[in-house]
Amino acid sequence: MTAYIRWVSALSRLAAVAALFLLASAIVVVTQMVVMRYFLNASTVWQTEYVIYALVAMTFLASPFVLMEKGHVNVDLLYLKLHGSARQVVQTLAGLVGLLFCALLAWSGWTYFEEAWSYGWTTDTVWALPLWIPLLPLPLGIGLMTLQYIAEVAKIWRGESA
Amino acid sequence: MSPLFTGLLILFALLALLGIGTPIAFALGFVSIAALLIVDGAGSLSILGETFFGGLASFGLVSIPMFILMGSAVASSPAGKDLYEALDRWLNRVPGGLVLSNIGACSIFAALSGSSPATCAAIGKMGIPEMTKRGYPNEIASGSIAAGGTLGILIPPSITMIVYGIATETSIGRLFLAGLLPGFMLTALFMAWTIYDCRRRGIGLSALTERFTMKERFAALPRVLPFLAIIIGILYVLYGGVATPSEAAGVGALFCIVLVVVIYRMWSVTKVTGMFRDTLKESVMIMMIIGASELFSYTLSSMFITQSIAEWIAALDVNRWILMAIINCFLLFAGFFLPPVAVILMTAPILLPIILQAGFDPYWFAVVLTINMEIGLITPPVGLNLYVINGIAPNITLAEILRGSIPYVLCMVVGIVLLCLVPGIATWLPELMMGKAL
Repeated sequence: MTAYIRWVSALSRLAAVAALFLLASAIVVVTQMVVMRYFLNASTVWQTEYVIYALVAMTFLASPFVLMEKGHVNVDLLYLKLHGSARQVVQTLAGLVGLLFCALLAWSGWTYFEEAWSYGWTTDTVWALPLWIPLLPLPLGIGLMTLQYIAEVAKIWRGESA
Repeated sequence: MSPLFTGLLILFALLALLGIGTPIAFALGFVSIAALLIVDGAGSLSILGETFFGGLASFGLVSIPMFILMGSAVASSPAGKDLYEALDRWLNRVPGGLVLSNIGACSIFAALSGSSPATCAAIGKMGIPEMTKRGYPNEIASGSIAAGGTLGILIPPSITMIVYGIATETSIGRLFLAGLLPGFMLTALFMAWTIYDCRRRGIGLSALTERFTMKERFAALPRVLPFLAIIIGILYVLYGGVATPSEAAGVGALFCIVLVVVIYRMWSVTKVTGMFRDTLKESVMIMMIIGASELFSYTLSSMFITQSIAEWIAALDVNRWILMAIINCFLLFAGFFLPPVAVILMTAPILLPIILQAGFDPYWFAVVLTINMEIGLITPPVGLNLYVINGIAPNITLAEILRGSIPYVLCMVVGIVLLCLVPGIATWLPELMMGKAL
């Protein structure tokens, strides 16, 4: 299990680095778009869509890392009052709910991606981006988050998360 | 099963999941998909990914990470300290001047950072020790900063307002304008109370107050003015109808990063990465709740729960102000336990039809809702600002901070009452600048 946790955590960090670059690129592209539109009076084709999808991808890819860092905000009043195995049981229960939701979302996201891929769907703009490209981070990121969730639940019983 | 009963079941399931500590985003998502699976069968699984993705893929949401980045750039720099010093140099011969500069610095910093805890931390680190040094009691020193920090979610640009705008499909620019005067009003109320409280306790100008020459006063300005220029620039761009909030936020974020790097020489890669890392964590947390709440509101409306609640309340035919009072109590209660963004996303789809039906202005309501959320930030059990101050001023007990913040909670209640009596405080400016709504 130690090796599993180490590997999944490393993958989550890697995905977060990718998300970081997407965020940085989005800022540059927004600024470029503003300059094009308002100062050069030129029309922009791909910028709006790029920024939207870059930030959606950022969300999905960084989500496992945020989970690892306990950044997905929750109400911790009750379980902080519990001690010992009672706390472990409640935390596991909460973990399993999250795990199950992530697994369902990842699976549903995968089927959506597969449809977009096999029917060759594109976005309905001038740019006509193949839809599977912005959809891929959903199963990828949330799938990784499911794996990370397994690690988080395991950590509860290894006494690593107080 | 009637829609109202189903709604009640969903509510209890959600409360139970939140109670055991499930992250808000996953609890919302899980309850929604469970309800859809039970009522509509396995086919509803396919809409899960589509709805979640669709909820996030919108240009309006782009402004959220951008404004958060702008805030964390400013928060990670010593800009808060400079802002505080500049105001102190200008205001310190005014009676109660230190308090004025504290709350003033809070409201300006709040506008820049859009985050309440960040404001408390940045201004409190300087302001609290300075106040205690000059003989202010701990309650006033900590309470005024805790309250001043809450202004971050009301004074534009505010993340909370953006989220409201997205959840209710109202104009974000208009929401920002609606928050401006009430933000100033609360600032003034906080200041007035603090000065009165100081006078009452016989705290005046202390001998410790330094005198500054005009030269020193002007010397403090160059580091502060660029940031003020960015806020004014963003507001101008938004209301001149020049650009959308997302575009303004993107350019504002870039400017802030450049300013912080140039003025404060924050070249180090660790610091810049730290800035991005904080932004990533906060934005992803908010975006996941947004995606899940899209699913949640889809579930509620596909089962006619939202509509049934609105109809049921209309049929009760209660006085609209009693209705507003009940809604306020409900929001206040929710705000005691949940962060503002989560409260807005979960309640907006249900509350908005009720509000509109009762003839209230949705922009005015946004302001009332936000002030309710501000109260939640400085009241237990999860008042974030209280714990931030407890962290940066370890010699002040949590009980003192709590006692100190109670008068400010009352100031905010007075603020809500004033808004109910004179709705124009929120609606006058947007109507003046953007014409009548709807």
